[in-house]
Amino acid sequence: MAPDPNSASGSGTRDETSAKLPAKDPKKKEDKKDEDLSEEDLALKQQLELYVERVQDPDPGLQKVALESMRQEIRTSTSSMTSVPKPLKFLRPHYGTLKAYYETMADSDLKKYLADILSVLALTMSAEGERESLKYRLLGSEGDIGSWGHEYVRNLAGEIAQEYAKRQSDEGPIDDLMELVQEIVAFHMKHNAEPEAVDLLMEVEDLDLLIEHVDATNFKRTCLYLTSAAKYLPGPDDMLVLDIAYMIYLKFEEFPNALQIALFLDNLQYVKQIFTSCDDLLRKKQFCYILARHGIMLELDDEMVPDDDDRYALQDIVNNVKLSEGYLTLARDIEVMEPKSPEDIYKAHLLDGRASAGASVDSARQNLAATFVNAFVNAGFGQDKLMTVLSDASSGGSSGNWLFKNKEHGKMSAAASLGMILLWDVDAGLAQIDKYFHSSDNHVIAGALLGVGIVNCGIRNDCDPALALLSDYVSREDPSIRIGAIMGLGIAYAGTQNEQVCDQLRHKLTTILNDAKAPLDVIAFTAISLGLIYVGSCNEEVAQAIIFALMDRSESELGEPLTRLIPLGLGLLYLGKQESVEATAEVSKTFNEKIRKYCDMTLLSCAYAGTGNVLKVQNLLGHCSQHLEKGETHQGPAVLGIAMVAMAEELGLEMAIRSLEHLLQYGEQNIRRAVPLALGLLCISNPKVNVMDTLSRLSHDTDSEVAMAAVISLGLIGAGTNNARIAGMLRNLSSYYYKDANLLFCVRIAQGLVHLGKGLLTLNPYHSDRFLLSPTALAGIVTTLFACLDMKAIIVGKYHYVLYFLVLAMQPRMLMTVDEDLKPLSIPVRVGQAVDVVGQAGRPKTITGFQTHSTPVLLAAGDRAELATEKYIPLSPILEGFVILKENPDYREDH
Amino acid sequence: MGQGTPGGLNRQGPGGDRKGDGADKKDKKFEPAAPPARVGRKQRKQKGPEAAARLPVVTPLTKCKLRLLKLERIKDYLLMEEEFVTNQERLKPQEEKAEEDRSKVDDLRGSPMSVGNLEELIDENHAIVSSSVGPEYYVGILSFVDKDQLEPGCAILMHNKVLSVVGLLQDEVDPMVSVMKVEKAPLESYADIGGLDAQIQEIKEAVELPLTHPELYEDIGIKPPKGVILYGEPGTGKTLLAKAVANSTSATFLRVVGSELIQKYLGDGPKLVRELFRVADDLSPSIVFIDEIDAVGTKRYDAHSGGEREIQRTMLELLNQLDGFDSRGDVKVILATNRIESLDPALLRPGRIDRKIEFPLPDIKTRRRIFQIHTSRMTLADDVNLEEFVMTKDEFSGADIKAICTEAGLLALRERRMKVTHTDFKKAKEKVMFKKKEGVPEGLYM
Repeated sequence: MAPDPNSASGSGTRDETSAKLPAKDPKKKEDKKDEDLSEEDLALKQQLELYVERVQDPDPGLQKVALESMRQEIRTSTSSMTSVPKPLKFLRPHYGTLKAYYETMADSDLKKYLADILSVLALTMSAEGERESLKYRLLGSEGDIGSWGHEYVRNLAGEIAQEYAKRQSDEGPIDDLMELVQEIVAFHMKHNAEPEAVDLLMEVEDLDLLIEHVDATNFKRTCLYLTSAAKYLPGPDDMLVLDIAYMIYLKFEEFPNALQIALFLDNLQYVKQIFTSCDDLLRKKQFCYILARHGIMLELDDEMVPDDDDRYALQDIVNNVKLSEGYLTLARDIEVMEPKSPEDIYKAHLLDGRASAGASVDSARQNLAATFVNAFVNAGFGQDKLMTVLSDASSGGSSGNWLFKNKEHGKMSAAASLGMILLWDVDAGLAQIDKYFHSSDNHVIAGALLGVGIVNCGIRNDCDPALALLSDYVSREDPSIRIGAIMGLGIAYAGTQNEQVCDQLRHKLTTILNDAKAPLDVIAFTAISLGLIYVGSCNEEVAQAIIFALMDRSESELGEPLTRLIPLGLGLLYLGKQESVEATAEVSKTFNEKIRKYCDMTLLSCAYAGTGNVLKVQNLLGHCSQHLEKGETHQGPAVLGIAMVAMAEELGLEMAIRSLEHLLQYGEQNIRRAVPLALGLLCISNPKVNVMDTLSRLSHDTDSEVAMAAVISLGLIGAGTNNARIAGMLRNLSSYYYKDANLLFCVRIAQGLVHLGKGLLTLNPYHSDRFLLSPTALAGIVTTLFACLDMKAIIVGKYHYVLYFLVLAMQPRMLMTVDEDLKPLSIPVRVGQAVDVVGQAGRPKTITGFQTHSTPVLLAAGDRAELATEKYIPLSPILEGFVILKENPDYREDH
Repeated sequence: MGQGTPGGLNRQGPGGDRKGDGADKKDKKFEPAAPPARVGRKQRKQKGPEAAARLPVVTPLTKCKLRLLKLERIKDYLLMEEEFVTNQERLKPQEEKAEEDRSKVDDLRGSPMSVGNLEELIDENHAIVSSSVGPEYYVGILSFVDKDQLEPGCAILMHNKVLSVVGLLQDEVDPMVSVMKVEKAPLESYADIGGLDAQIQEIKEAVELPLTHPELYEDIGIKPPKGVILYGEPGTGKTLLAKAVANSTSATFLRVVGSELIQKYLGDGPKLVRELFRVADDLSPSIVFIDEIDAVGTKRYDAHSGGEREIQRTMLELLNQLDGFDSRGDVKVILATNRIESLDPALLRPGRIDRKIEFPLPDIKTRRRIFQIHTSRMTLADDVNLEEFVMTKDEFSGADIKAICTEAGLLALRERRMKVTHTDFKKAKEKVMFKKKEGVPEGLYM
């Protein structure tokens, strides 16, 4: 390990500047040096020389006095930033003499004293790597370590790290070192140098010591440092570090932070521990909000919450029952309840002249696009201008007007869009969708089934309406009805692996997979749905079922684009589970060679999604660097995989964007098609200007599939931001591509995405200060992107409804403050760009360029909020989503 | 297209072109009515290949393991990029392809090219240009010209026949500014400064350390000072110290004399100041040293002539650059003057100039040092007693001492002596002191 850079470089430059003169002309060094000195310096120098002589005096009394005064001189000299303290400078020439004398001394207190002084002198004198400072420190009197100053302690810490590494390899004893470490850590923690303490403990692999030394003043900074270091540490160190952070948080009862770490580790045991160790019901409610945002369907038991009524109330929060209500409150507050029609989004009037000519393109496709735009824009608002208005105005007959402007499979998407509009509002949703169940058109029924699934997305209801309604249709004859029901189930129950409901589902769905007669598309969607329901569970049985289904496919079926969704279903089972995938990956090597590599890449990308594992990125890049024969498809998932792995932290993200640029330059067509999608995933709902520029360039690409992917990605990076620049670009694209129906369709979809939920929603799977990754959200996005790898066959073909998988990632990007009764509470908050405060001294500002709003407020990507009043105390340090506020008992009104 | 329609130069021009473009559509990239994205030079810096190549900023600045890990992560990615690119180059050399493309572009450009001036940008693909001979033309811009870098007033290459814009002459840096860059470090080092210990320390803390060890300041939680002003009597070593700073630092060192900032034409002075700081920012970390700042930095008063007003405007630009809206990163400013009392207070306020370092006349100790420094390379006779000069009551500055030594040497030279004697020094001192007092009758103000 490199030595502590601080001490090495710090002392290095000091020497340089002060030693410049002698180094320049060595001949004159001696006589000149004396001349150069001022009188006091000369006196000091002579004094010190005298001490050095006296130390070597046989009389112990004299020795002692000399040592004492030498010590005094060194300590009292104020070291400046720019030069070596003078006593040290003058003692430099005598270091060798003192060292030699030390060896001849008899053991005594005096010897220890001398060792102390030698240890300090070694700070500037000893050659790199000799660690003499440490050596003499260990021989010395073991006095207070801080008395020699910070620089000394830092240097010592660096030498300990080296020494430790050496002793580890020689298997020498480390007890004496550890004592010193204890002292140094205590010193650092007392002097606001938490990062240094943590660094030292990491070097000597004993982070447990940290827990004893943290106190209420410094645990926050310590934990912040630990958690941010965890993202960059190689496994298994990262888990260890997070464990320590969790323990510290628990020790100081900072439960919400502890809960975050527990969720990051995906450790339900820890989650339970938090619930049991906290007695405050209100705080538990806050925990439930955090769980709900993360998308974990946790069944609370009586150990966690003893009281029955309380438990029901809490379970309701976990089940997201109030999400719709909160979202509508936000919408009302921001005054965007007014439904918007697709034309409001297209804003064709801003284009001059030509847009009217667009009518020439086939209208079914246009209507389908309008359906999607309408669904995305009005998502969750419960009202719109196409699907709901007419049914309210008159009963029955005319209700399906817009619906029937769509053709065949278009009707399925149209019917399902109703589910999107009524998102999260289960009761109203089911009531409105119900009428389509009685339709005679199979596509409409299929759409209704899908709509039911969408309405229930992320919401759990005790009576499980989705299961009750959909399960019968799963085994119908008509493939589109089956797909609708299967997709609906997948969306409604995504991420609920541990419940009984799922057992039923699993039986139903796995039988379909085993059914040799089932059509390919049904099987593909079944695999995806199973993947979603069991996302990240590594469930053996499901994996087996999907593997068998894949093996049963015939040669020709394996060539179909839809078949490629089956490996994805398998991959989703292992989403973010790293090594657990290996057994399945082995099995996948036995597949037919047409799908083998594709499957391999998919599994690898999914398993390491959100880990930031550089080795895997390298592996994937390696696959992308080959130039293939026609017909091989595995590079698409590899490119997406780079994005999935690298999206874990900011640095990796930016560097991945750079790497993708190279892929664009060198890659073949199949790579270039995936690059825009990968960019879309990296910056989802976060319109970075450079990415926007790249995508805008690609949207004019000569290869229409690249252009389509770029257009869709423009929508993804701007999803839910109402970003005017992207909206402008898309408008221009719509007039540019007015003759190309497929591209125009993509442009429309992208426009809908940019205005997702009228700008109230986000697709970002990362939340809580970009710390936690919601697995279901990521699964939804990844599914859509994999489908986009073959635009022509899937998105602009007849499976456009895969776009509805995006609903899994939709979340309001709001900060909603509620009081103790969970009623919305409007208070002023400051919202601004988040600042990285890790390892900074003092209490730095966490946000910059802020504005003050009153809640509920919207938070853009990279934004952070803080309360602007001290009247309330938030129960969660991360102000995102729902936050419960408690009145501050110490608050006093200013007069 | 668009060629030869100079009549359509009004607002309808672009509209007309658009129809034409729509007709031959597809094979040509066309982006209608994109708002002109240029806002001046600032824009230029963020865009382009440089921006893409820039690595993400790594926080915290403190040297700790987290920083190490983050930097290693970046290194890993860079290594992967390198591996990928070398692989690709091996598989499919890009250079040939690039060579081909380049020759194609060269064909399109034609030869010779004429040099012109861009007068105005009409839309994405058209501009008005003028050549040195006179008339202005409405011409097309070829697609391979980087349009982000075009801005009114820049020098362009034009096709010799059709006069379309085929290239851009990039003199990134105003030649006036590039002269200011100190390419060869001066020979004077800190060791050549007698005394001034406190001043050296202050300037090191304010100028050098923030560039080399920014983490020290972050540790404490303060922002390092932006600039210092060195002031004091003539000849006390202000410029010498600046030279020593330039000698010891590896940062870019730009030196200007205040009078250089005064230009012939209106607006040139402020422009030069802007350019100076832009270059400093581009080449950061850097140190800007403005000597004799009183040339532009005097107090504002009702100016009577245009020239005076221009000088004041130059100072205002300087004020803005020192602490204006745009934050300067690693640019440190050193000003030097011997008339600090006449400077504008706005120039000296903290935030612009955080440290004022006074250079007093040398005291006895310093004087001795300075004598030692200057006489160290001279051959002195045994009878020379420097103490006599050191202890004298006359007010010497460092420059005076140097003059005495030189003068003494010259006197010895005149008499073809190999050694400089005490008498030489005495004479030299009288001469120098006389010169210094010349014209000012002693005792007039007493």
